[in-house]
Amino acid sequence: MRTKEKQNKTRLFFLGVLVAIMLIVTACAPQPAPAPAEEPAGLAEEQPAAEAPVAEAPSEETEETEETPVEEVVEEPGFMVERFRAAIIGDESTLNPFTYVTGEPGWNVLMMQYDSLFTMNIVGEPVPWLVTDWSLSEDGLSYTLSLRDDVSWNDGTPFTAHDVKFTFDYLTLNAVGRFARDIRGFESAEVVDDYQVVINLVNPNPGYVRLAFADVPIIPQHIWEGVNDPQNHQFEDVTNVGTGPYMLMEYAPDQFYRFVANENYFAGMPTVGELVLIKFADDAGAQAAFRTNEVDMIFRVIPPEQIDLLSMVDGVSIAQGPLFGTQMLMMNYDVEPFNLVEVRQAVAYALDREDMIDTVYLGAATAGSNGWIHPDSPFYNSQIVQEYNPERAVELLESVGIVDSDGGGVREYEGAELSFELITPSGNALRLRLAELIKEMLAQVGIQVNVASVEQTTWEDMVWPEFDITFGRSYELSMWGWSAPVQADVFRAPELVHSDPLIGPLNLSGANSEDIDRIANEMASSQDPEYRTEKIKELQQAIADEMPFVILMYPDGNYAYWSSVYDNLAFIAGQGVVNKLSFLPESARP
Amino acid sequence: MRIGLKGNRLLEYLLVFIVAVTLNFFLPRLMPGNPLALLAGVDVGLMTPEERAEVIIEAGLDQPLWKQYFKYIGNLLRGDFGYSYRQKMPIIDMIMDRLPWTLLITGLSLIVSSILGVVLGAIAAWYRAKAIDISLLWTMILLGSMPSFWLGMLLISVVSVENRLLPSFGAITPAMSLTGWEKTKDILEHAVLPVTTLSILSVPGIFLTMRYTMLGVLGEDFIRTARAKGLSEKVVLFRHVVRNSLAPVVTILAIRLGYAFGGTVVTETVFSYPGLGRLIYESVSNRDYPVLQAAFLVITIAVLVSNILADLMYPILDPRART
Repeated sequence: MRTKEKQNKTRLFFLGVLVAIMLIVTACAPQPAPAPAEEPAGLAEEQPAAEAPVAEAPSEETEETEETPVEEVVEEPGFMVERFRAAIIGDESTLNPFTYVTGEPGWNVLMMQYDSLFTMNIVGEPVPWLVTDWSLSEDGLSYTLSLRDDVSWNDGTPFTAHDVKFTFDYLTLNAVGRFARDIRGFESAEVVDDYQVVINLVNPNPGYVRLAFADVPIIPQHIWEGVNDPQNHQFEDVTNVGTGPYMLMEYAPDQFYRFVANENYFAGMPTVGELVLIKFADDAGAQAAFRTNEVDMIFRVIPPEQIDLLSMVDGVSIAQGPLFGTQMLMMNYDVEPFNLVEVRQAVAYALDREDMIDTVYLGAATAGSNGWIHPDSPFYNSQIVQEYNPERAVELLESVGIVDSDGGGVREYEGAELSFELITPSGNALRLRLAELIKEMLAQVGIQVNVASVEQTTWEDMVWPEFDITFGRSYELSMWGWSAPVQADVFRAPELVHSDPLIGPLNLSGANSEDIDRIANEMASSQDPEYRTEKIKELQQAIADEMPFVILMYPDGNYAYWSSVYDNLAFIAGQGVVNKLSFLPESARP
Repeated sequence: MRIGLKGNRLLEYLLVFIVAVTLNFFLPRLMPGNPLALLAGVDVGLMTPEERAEVIIEAGLDQPLWKQYFKYIGNLLRGDFGYSYRQKMPIIDMIMDRLPWTLLITGLSLIVSSILGVVLGAIAAWYRAKAIDISLLWTMILLGSMPSFWLGMLLISVVSVENRLLPSFGAITPAMSLTGWEKTKDILEHAVLPVTTLSILSVPGIFLTMRYTMLGVLGEDFIRTARAKGLSEKVVLFRHVVRNSLAPVVTILAIRLGYAFGGTVVTETVFSYPGLGRLIYESVSNRDYPVLQAAFLVITIAVLVSNILADLMYPILDPRART
């Protein structure tokens, strides 16, 4: 028979039910402690003052948030750290030169296993790596490269000039992907002897060392010569055969990669014995695991609002330095009155870049130069000035008859209100915030802007349909940004602004300036470095005068890492810290 | 008594299957955006038009849609899902790598949530309109309306970050080469939070179904008869009420079993769990059509099969449905 229960008994039961779910959560044994953050043996603290070349590197210093006991550490062979765990977002497939997925960090991690002929040093200049000596013929067409004779593939086969020739020939034959584009203009390669090779080009290309030699991984002939379909070829062995400091030992899809140090690496013994890359689905997951030190680092730039938050954690440091990515405001020349230089200039004057950097990037960015090139670049034209001057913006607008005749707060051009749609990709919170600020700033000078957040690919299609500018464009104003490689080689600047689609394939605003075209053509006509440097400075001035887009800022790279676990990262200007130099002793860095 | 499917019912399933496969082919292609960026990488703008064309041709995207469609059907029949655009691997391998993980967490959560849902639903119905019923009802409505990503993040933050009780991500501690019991323990620890999230989200549905069905049963004449016969409350409850209330719940569970193959996109993403749901998430954001098609096909087949199972099981549970 049912009996009437006491009221408090019911309540107890109710509470029991409520906590039942909580029990599922708590009724489990605590997880074994994450791999111990051992005191790294032989970890020599960085002494920037003692290393002159390193000290010159811009913003190379990392924040020292903790007291470092000055201790004489006995040098012993072995790793600084046995194991280092880093978070990446997404899966990079089997990580060979034909299967890696993203440009960053995919390419960076790929290059842990492979080497290129040249590599970037800390300041972001290409320096010989697999190469010992090199010379360029007078006509600018033939590079003679002497190679190191002490390099082996990680399967034991010696590395020779035949592998270099093979790499160039193979990429020409299988012309897909980044590396095939890198070597564009390659004509032939001749093996002089086992350690000397000549690379011949179709046309002189002064950027070739940076574009091709410092970017393309050299691949082993004995592995790839039998592979006809490199993209879809599945190797039996998970370890990719390269010459680099790390060897892939384990690949767990959507879970992790495990790399082991190549102790015979020609440039020196790697500093970390085992490199584990853990794959996260999104940033939030990676950050949670970083805070609990389930990973020691995030192989990706952290958003500005995380910088202070994470650097407050005991044992965590932030590596900060320049990257060559950009945030820009694009103006479509086809949309009147953006065809008028005065209007484009006015827009630039009306934007307070410092305010945007403080508000959106919390200071972690460098203000954009109107001449496109980063102030940290040796090719920067320091004559170029950009200022926030809304009065000047108003003058310029009124000089072309754009006035607010009806007093409504919005100016009119040829009878119509000056109102534009500013599109920005929906997945990018920073760009959306910048767009909102632009809206407010332009409203101050009487230009009305409506911000529209659109899906990523729709946005790309509006600005750059089919990734081919000859298809035109269908935006009015758009947020945009170029990745680091576009700016890393300053001589690529004409691609952004030249009116001929073949020379200016990235000219997304539709700029057509005789000055720009002329200077770019003059620059292309010569091989003389001095003349070209003079011309690139002239070109910057011409771009600033024409103002085909507004460079808002160059966001700094901020990487969070547990310096208490490992503190030997190398920030390469324009590339960040995810590189092989970060895992080599300082003495081995070029 | 005959338990089985009639011929025309089987035909219906076949028809549904064909429609699903066809939709599956067209849907991703109707989405906006150009897969070229993905096929060719970030520097797509630097490619010459010839190079772009080559990329498109290599992927077979230059062919008219109907040709692509028949090629797709032909490959399906041969069990060939093709290669992922993004990862350049055989898709079948990618799916088989991830399916076991998905089945682990969805399977466990299905068990946990059915037990909790049935038991709590029965309790609520038995004590109808009492404090315990009302509180359970409110709790379930509250739980059922929580977004899964929010719940997952809350669990990560409270359990993993603040209290360090359980790992916050993944299916196994990376690169530890654990074996035997250690490995099992590690896998189970990693499964706790995703399973908890999934269970909390699916208990309310089962609870409500169980409760309402049982309330209906409780009002039936045969229950009154049973009580009148002087059967004990226990016998009435378990032999007559609960048993007669299970049929709709089992149907729901069978359908959920089908969806279990699809994983749970949001939960797997929040916990960076290496399952099929996360593969779908990453393929959607990268427009990796072939992977999406294959993943959806797996889900379609699983849902159809579990529907057939439910069809077959119903007559066992409910003699009235027998033919």
